[in-house]
Amino acid sequence: MSEAIKLGEIDEDRLDRSRRIGWLDVGKIVKSRCLVVGAGALGNEVVKSLVLSGFKEIVVVDMDRIVRSNLNRCVFFREEDAESRLQKASVVAARAAELSPTARVTPVVSSIQDIDLSSSPRPDVVFGCLDNIAARLHLNAHSYHLGIPYIDGGTNGFAGRVHVVLPPEGPCLQCGMNRSHFRIMEKRHSCTGIEASFYEPKVPAEITTTSVIAAIQVREALKVLSGKSEDCIRHVAHYDGLRNRFEILETSIDPGCPMHSRMEPHDSQR
Amino acid sequence: MPLRVKVRNAESGATVDMELEGENTIEDIIEGAAGYWEKDAGAYVLRRGKRLLRGQQTVAEAGVLNSDDLELIPDPEGGG
Repeated sequence: MSEAIKLGEIDEDRLDRSRRIGWLDVGKIVKSRCLVVGAGALGNEVVKSLVLSGFKEIVVVDMDRIVRSNLNRCVFFREEDAESRLQKASVVAARAAELSPTARVTPVVSSIQDIDLSSSPRPDVVFGCLDNIAARLHLNAHSYHLGIPYIDGGTNGFAGRVHVVLPPEGPCLQCGMNRSHFRIMEKRHSCTGIEASFYEPKVPAEITTTSVIAAIQVREALKVLSGKSEDCIRHVAHYDGLRNRFEILETSIDPGCPMHSRMEPHDSQR
Repeated sequence: MPLRVKVRNAESGATVDMELEGENTIEDIIEGAAGYWEKDAGAYVLRRGKRLLRGQQTVAEAGVLNSDDLELIPDPEGGG
């Protein structure tokens, strides 16, 4: 006797609607590991979209604590979290697990510079949800060296940017930087100001731009993991929400960039 | 022979004409334009059409031509 179908069964599968998107490799997505660096505005939105997309293994890294001024753009943070000055990474991990109980979201309270990316388990995708250039460059360098796709987001008010780095092909984040980046590199745009060594104006941040940029970051990861890297942003998308502009701009490999001038393939790329 | 290009401020739409020598770098243009418009300290990039120009390249290496339109874009670096 053939197996009978159960009425309404498809609505019991939380990823059923995702599975209906032909090119989306849900099987691969649920098995993939993501490293999200930064649990502030972008980090909140990226983790939200990751767990809703079906990712089950996520590590969230952040060294900061929640303050009240985070609450205009961080979906996982509550008033009481700010009052108690809880760790951002821990709160994001706990609340993301409420959205998807089968997801394992691991918080790491640390600076990214103190984390060894080459130690296992190796992530399949790295997300940069940072607020400073020094940390971005660190993450870019390590991801590129290890051959891990790196998807970096940045916002400033109603403007945003997503940079997709797919080693060993193409330019990296550093290739697209210039003196203006390096001049402000050590200025940390910390929301709490704890890490700032001197006064730096706060970067304006609001939720609509944050949502757009984070959503694009996650969508690019879905493409990478579903074998559609050729359809990814090459190489940087600039978004201007005030003027309704969204443009893909190409960068080129900088022969003087340390990532390209003395890069030897990592074991995992051989 | 010097080149003359037009640089547009992506945020305000304002433009400024710049006279350049072949050995000027893209970073020189970025700093010149940001200084002219008294922009806040921050990261900026310069685009020509669909291409972001590399900061370290000279105008000649980047293929910038007389009468080109360039655009100065802020490079968003927040996210926390």
